[in-house]
Amino acid sequence: MSPRGPALAGTGTLLRFGLRRDRLRLPVWVAVATLLVVTQSISSQTLYDSPEDLAAYRASIGSNAATIALAGPPVGLDTVAGAVAFEISAFVVLVVALMAMSTTARHTRADEEAGRTELVRATRVGRHAPLLAAVLLSGMACVVTALGIGAAATATGLPARGSVLLGASVGAAGLVFTGVTAVVAQVTGSTRATYGIVGAVFGVAFVLRAVGDIEGNGLVWTSPIGWAQAVHPYSGDRVAPLVLCLVAGVTLFALAVALLDRRDLGAGLVAPRPGPATAPRGLHSPLGLALRLQRGALAGWAVGLTLLGLVYGALAESVETLFADNPEARAFLPDAASLVDAYLATTLAINALLAGAYAVSSVLRARGEEAAGRAEPVLSTATSRTAWLGSHATMALLGSAVLVVLSGAATGAVRAAATGDVGQLPRLTGAALAHLPAVWVLAGVALALSGLLPRAAAAVAWAAVAYVVVTTVFAESLDWPGWVDDLSPLAWTPTVPIETLRIAPLATLAVVAAALVTLALAGFRRRDLLVG
Amino acid sequence: MESAIAVAGLVKTFGDTRALDGLDLEVSTGEVHGFLGPNGSGKSTTIRVLLGLLRADAGRVRLLDGDPWRDAVALHRRLAYVPGDVTLWPGITGGEAIDLLGRLQGGLDPARRAELLDRFDLDPRKKARTYSKGNRQKVALVAALASDADLYVLDEPTSGLDPLMEALFQDEVRRLRAEGRTVLLSSHILAEAEALCDRVSIIRHGRTVQSGSLRELRHLTRTSMAVETARPVTGLADLPGVHDLRSDDGRVHFDVDTDALDAVVRHLGGFGVRSLTSTPPTLEELFLRHYGEDLTENGLVRTPEAVRS
Repeated sequence: MSPRGPALAGTGTLLRFGLRRDRLRLPVWVAVATLLVVTQSISSQTLYDSPEDLAAYRASIGSNAATIALAGPPVGLDTVAGAVAFEISAFVVLVVALMAMSTTARHTRADEEAGRTELVRATRVGRHAPLLAAVLLSGMACVVTALGIGAAATATGLPARGSVLLGASVGAAGLVFTGVTAVVAQVTGSTRATYGIVGAVFGVAFVLRAVGDIEGNGLVWTSPIGWAQAVHPYSGDRVAPLVLCLVAGVTLFALAVALLDRRDLGAGLVAPRPGPATAPRGLHSPLGLALRLQRGALAGWAVGLTLLGLVYGALAESVETLFADNPEARAFLPDAASLVDAYLATTLAINALLAGAYAVSSVLRARGEEAAGRAEPVLSTATSRTAWLGSHATMALLGSAVLVVLSGAATGAVRAAATGDVGQLPRLTGAALAHLPAVWVLAGVALALSGLLPRAAAAVAWAAVAYVVVTTVFAESLDWPGWVDDLSPLAWTPTVPIETLRIAPLATLAVVAAALVTLALAGFRRRDLLVG
Repeated sequence: MESAIAVAGLVKTFGDTRALDGLDLEVSTGEVHGFLGPNGSGKSTTIRVLLGLLRADAGRVRLLDGDPWRDAVALHRRLAYVPGDVTLWPGITGGEAIDLLGRLQGGLDPARRAELLDRFDLDPRKKARTYSKGNRQKVALVAALASDADLYVLDEPTSGLDPLMEALFQDEVRRLRAEGRTVLLSSHILAEAEALCDRVSIIRHGRTVQSGSLRELRHLTRTSMAVETARPVTGLADLPGVHDLRSDDGRVHFDVDTDALDAVVRHLGGFGVRSLTSTPPTLEELFLRHYGEDLTENGLVRTPEAVRS
């Protein structure tokens, strides 16, 4: 029993139980975040070991809007430590935000949806205890990550004070997203919606800070990611933004508790409305079911990627401005037009990575359905294994095509309006489409895993996505052997529009994707259905 | 076609666990066949093999004259299935799920659908997220019963239903039998099997231990008797086939093997019978006879003796 009152009774027990349940997954998250910093620290120190290298780096970064949009404020680039923080902080913040979101949601809404919270709350456990235990668990993971990053960065030779603040800024962002998830888990009654909404909040926060960092205006202060990066480790070493994150985290937690008091166990804040008593015409086939199950997520991704495409297109003008304002850059880099193309090539690749993440999540939906036991009633009807898995595969392949086209067309439309050249729309839509075969290979890998190694599919498929992200984003800043890059399908995609389009590598990727799909269907037809 | 289901020597292993260990099952066309066994005995695994969801490791499996693994889709057009643990899509209403499963199976009868929704008192407009276990089961039952199939495979279909709904369910199964359909009904609720089944197969540890009509199986069991006599009964304990004899206030209670019944009744006649109640053997007792010792050892079911001690 907790001495602090009946509403918190059992918090300690639940926290220990949470640590037991997550004894594998939390260390993995912490290790990934720490290793990202270690790798970046070591490779940056190797790459920029002379003042000249660092100056060249500073010049190229100072004028590359794509890198700023992706990474953060270009401050402290006069030291290697500052370059490390600039290069890696956004990715570590992403990892820690995902850790905070999944940990908090898993121990709140997911438990509640599965009926486990009811079982726990029927014992001597207070009403607020499960929420507090989940938030404490996620908060502890953020603190441990912060300490791990601080220690690892110091150990690789970076200044101690800045290293601790780098870790603290990342952990602080994690605390804010713990709070955000705690609130969203009260509002919606579904785990899936919780992930969707928190993901959207992260996306909006990321875009706000990207625009703020490029335009140099105050927009970064509207974003929790902007707060975390405003610490400026190794250069400004500011502590105030950390306090801002902490206050936001605690306030969000208090809000979550207040919302918890205003709702029933198992329900969200919004009462579920009755739905249709009969199924619409479209819900009559495996594909109709897959579309119904995935349409919400696809619509969310479509809105997100279209907005991102528009923002990228709008920011292309800043590339020219940055270039004009930066005399150092003009010494190192070619003319402004090709700089814009280089920027666009990077943004198209990032959108392709996001479309790949959608494709993998869409494929894994099939495995999720199977594990939850919802494939069994469908496969007991006159629905073949091929039709069932194939319909989810169709959603992944066509859905990712839609996303790629939308994001490319959005960027192209903005560029066409800005330059008065209508040809930019088909040019950039086409350039975006060039990434589709690589996206399909990612989907194919997830499909083949679902067909052949169902239990490991989710973990291995997401590891593959992470691999492609890391090799694409860090291709230039990390000094890896060539084959490491070559394993990624995106490495085979010509970087249009700076490179010319070559069909042969794209056709090869398409053949690989088709082979993986065939392998997946053959494997799925031959194996037992696996529930759980 | 004589047999709707013919299974011989079925083996299915999961890692080190031998879930099915040479199981036999024969279901004739047009009968309601009870598939009985305690939890974990392999009922659901057998059904999943019959549906082609799991692949048999060894043995012969025929369903509606087809191979359930190879011909799954064709066979599924002719069967309807209610899973033991019904999981539905959280954001899809019960009515939509019924229509979807019905359409995927090959279409369902709208009039029957409406009638069943009404009889089972199920609100089809609720999202599956808000349904109780019983209501999820009703969704699967309505989808299965409203579809036109030769074979109905029902895996513990009433485990979440209240007694009123259970009675309705029994009505529906009788209706299927009257229409000449075949039903495989897995259950550990013995009263249900007794009320509905023409024949039963009893399995345990993945193996069939008994199969036959209830009448055939009853000869293996004992009738419980309670007798009040004018003079105290003597010598009963010495008769063959009498078990668990106890007496109080001039009444004797005992169980007697069916083939010893005649001799026992003749013996009692000599003591002036005032009242006699006899309870026919229930499947419950048949179960206890088959599993009693094992279940007691496992602590799953306690025999009356175990309760008393």
